[in-house]
Amino acid sequence: MPYFHDSVCISPQFSFPVTDLSQWRASKNNLLNVTEPDYPGIPPGARRRMGKSVRMAVGAALPLLEKYSQPDGMIIATANGGMEDCIKFLNQILEYNEGLLTPASFVQSTSNAAAAQIALVTKNHNYNITHVHRGLAFENALMDVVMSLKEHPGTSYLLGCTDEISAYNYNIDGLAGCFRKESVLNSELFTSLAEGTIPGEGAFMVWMNNEREDASARLDAVRTVHSEDPSTVLKAFNKFLSENLPDGEMPDLLMTGENGDERLVKYYDLIESVFKDKVPVARFKHFCGDYCTASSFACWLSIQILKEGTVPALLLKKAAPAKRVKRILIYNNYRGSQHAFILVSGVAVDG
Amino acid sequence: MSRIIITGMGLISAIGDSVEENRDSLQFERSGIGHIQFYQTAYAGKLPTAEVRHSTEELNKKLFGKPNPSITRTSLLAIHAAEEAIRDSGLSADEISSTETALVGATTVGGMCLTDEIYHDALAKDHGTPYLSSYDYASVSMALQERYGMMGEVSTINTACSSSANSILFGARLIQHGFAKRAIVGGAESLAKFTINGFNALNILSSKPCAPFDRDRNGLNLGEGAAFLVLEREEDCKGKKNYASLTGFGNKNDAYHPSSNSPEGNGPFLSMKEAMETSRLRAEDISYINAHGTGTENNDETESRAMLRLFEKVPPFSSTKSYTGHTLGAAGAIEAVYSILSLVHQEVYPSLSFKNPIVETGLIPVQRYVRQEIKNVMSNSFGFGGNCSTLIFSKT
Repeated sequence: MPYFHDSVCISPQFSFPVTDLSQWRASKNNLLNVTEPDYPGIPPGARRRMGKSVRMAVGAALPLLEKYSQPDGMIIATANGGMEDCIKFLNQILEYNEGLLTPASFVQSTSNAAAAQIALVTKNHNYNITHVHRGLAFENALMDVVMSLKEHPGTSYLLGCTDEISAYNYNIDGLAGCFRKESVLNSELFTSLAEGTIPGEGAFMVWMNNEREDASARLDAVRTVHSEDPSTVLKAFNKFLSENLPDGEMPDLLMTGENGDERLVKYYDLIESVFKDKVPVARFKHFCGDYCTASSFACWLSIQILKEGTVPALLLKKAAPAKRVKRILIYNNYRGSQHAFILVSGVAVDG
Repeated sequence: MSRIIITGMGLISAIGDSVEENRDSLQFERSGIGHIQFYQTAYAGKLPTAEVRHSTEELNKKLFGKPNPSITRTSLLAIHAAEEAIRDSGLSADEISSTETALVGATTVGGMCLTDEIYHDALAKDHGTPYLSSYDYASVSMALQERYGMMGEVSTINTACSSSANSILFGARLIQHGFAKRAIVGGAESLAKFTINGFNALNILSSKPCAPFDRDRNGLNLGEGAAFLVLEREEDCKGKKNYASLTGFGNKNDAYHPSSNSPEGNGPFLSMKEAMETSRLRAEDISYINAHGTGTENNDETESRAMLRLFEKVPPFSSTKSYTGHTLGAAGAIEAVYSILSLVHQEVYPSLSFKNPIVETGLIPVQRYVRQEIKNVMSNSFGFGGNCSTLIFSKT
C-alpha cells in the first residue's frame, strides 16, 4: 500500500514552514496568492532564474530530499507549468517581431521544468515525469505512484505538484468566466454564491513508499471521470465506493472542492447526498483558492487531519466528526467536467 | 502482468496523412521538410520546417464538417491520427467511450500554437477569442475525450521531446495495473511561432534540411504531426490486428543541463539500458534503433556515445527526423509507429542527408532502404529537462 511520509505544502495559508490551521489569511483583490518562504536551500543565483511555479516546487521538494536522500523517481503534476515565463516569451516574440531572443524564458516555460530542476539540483537520474492533465494532473500523478510502487517494491518517490497564478492566465481564465467579477473575500466564498470562484496557487511535495512505519497517512484509492452529466458522475462515484468502501462502510469525513461557483453546486450536493447527512463534510478552497492541482491541497490537509484525528473548525461545512477521523474521502470537481475521488486513511497507532 | 499488444495505429505528418502514406514516403525516401506555408512567422522562407500539408481550415472541415470555432491545429492533428488508429483497431464507439478505455495524450505546445491569440487574450479587458479554454496542454486530450465521450481515465503528459514515448508507457501501465482494459495513447504537435522562436533562440535550428549523425550537421528542423496507437492486453486480442508488442521501456533523467545532454550521454545510456533490462533481451537481439537523432551537434554526438557504451556492436540505426522534422511532443509516438512498421514489414528506413560520420564516434546510420529480418526495434526519445525515454517493440 502506498504511504505518505513527510510532506511540504507552500500555500496561501499557514502551511510552511510552520503549520497552523486554526487561523487563516484573507484573500486580496479576489486572489489567494501564496506567501512564499525564504527558500534557504535554493542558491540565490538559481532562485532568480526560476519562475514562481518552479521556485515553489523546488522550495517544497528540497527539505524532503535533504531528509530522505535520493528518490527512485520524481512524479510531478502541473497543469500550466511556467505560465508566466511562457507569456514572457510570447511578449518577446511579438515585441521584437521575432528578432533575436534570449532562450531563458522559453526553457523555463516548458512544463517539465520543475521536475527537471529538482532532478538537476539533486543529480537524480531516476524515473522523471510531468503530468499536465488540467484539473486531474495531480490524480494522474497519484496513479503513477501507485503503479510505480507495485512495479518496484521497496522504492520511494517524490510526488508533488505546482501551479501558479500568473497575471496572464488570470486574465484568460477570467475572460472565460471562471472567476468572480464582484469583489469577494475567501471568507464569504460559500455564503455569496455566484458564477465563478477565486483563483489560488501552491505547491505540494510528499515522500511516498510502501512502508507503514513513520508514515503520516495511506493512499487507499484514486479514480477520475470526465463528464458534465451529474448522473454519470454519481454512477462513477458509487462504483468507487463499492470498490473501496464495501458493505456500506462510510468515510469519517467527506472533503469537497466546493468553490463558491453556483454552477457546480449541483455536483457537490449530489455527492453529499449519497451519505444522507451521516458523514461530516469539510471544504478547502476558501483556504487555497481554485486551481488545477488544488486537490493536492486537500490531500495535504487530509494528511494533517489524519495525523491529529480532528478537523480544524474553519474547514467544517457541517457537523464536526464525533470520533477520531481515520478515513477521508476527497471529491473534487474542476470546472464541471473533471471529477476526482481520492480515499486516504490514517496510520495512527490507535487507528 | 499482461503482454501489451498494439492493435491499431494512426499517423499524420509532413510525409503523409495516414500510416500507409507515411510508409510509402519512408520507403521511397521522400522528406517532408520544406518551405513554411501554413503558419505565420518571420522565418518563412528562411528556416525550413516539416508541415502537415493541410491548412487548419481544411483539417477542420474534414474532421468536423463545419468550422469549429474553438479547436486548435494541435487538437485537429490529434483527432486525425486518433480516428485512423481507432478505425484500424476496429474498436466500437461503445468500447471507446467505456470506462475501461484510457486515453493518454502528449504535447509540448498544446494550444500555445495560437501564439497571437493567446497574447491577445492574456491582455484583453473583454472580448476574448473563442480559444479561451484551448491553450493548455490538456486541451488536446480533452478534444479527443469530448469527441468520443470517453469515460475512462484520461491523462496528458509533457516531458518535452520525450512526451509521447511516456504517454505510450503510461497507457501500457494503466492497462497492466487494471486502471483500464485498453488504452489509446500518443501525441500531437503543431508548428507555431512560439516553438520556432524558442528553438531559434537556442541556436539549434538548421537553415538546411537536417543531417542526423553527419559530421557537419548544424541543427534540427521543427516538424508537426500526430500519432496514436491502440494498446490492448494480449488475452483480449483474439481475432484482432496484432502489429507488435511493447516489450521494453526506460525513463531516466540526464540531470545535467536544462537544454542539452551530458557529454557522455548518461541519460540516453541509462534509458536504453533500462529498456533492455525490462525487455529481458540481449544487446544482439536489437535489430534496429530508431534514434532520437535530431541533427543537433549535442544530441547526435551524445546519443552516439550512449549507443557505443551500451552496445559492443551498435545495431543498424537511423533517424526518421530527416523526413518529419522534429515533431517534439509527437515524436515519440510517430517514431513508435515507424518502429512498428519496420517490424511488420521487415524493413529499415534510411537516414537522409548523411555524408560523413562524426569523427569522435564514427557511427554510420543506415543510408539506403533495406529489407532485412527485424525482431526487436528500439526507439529513443530525449527531451529538454534531461527527460530521456526508450521504448522497445517486438514481433509477436
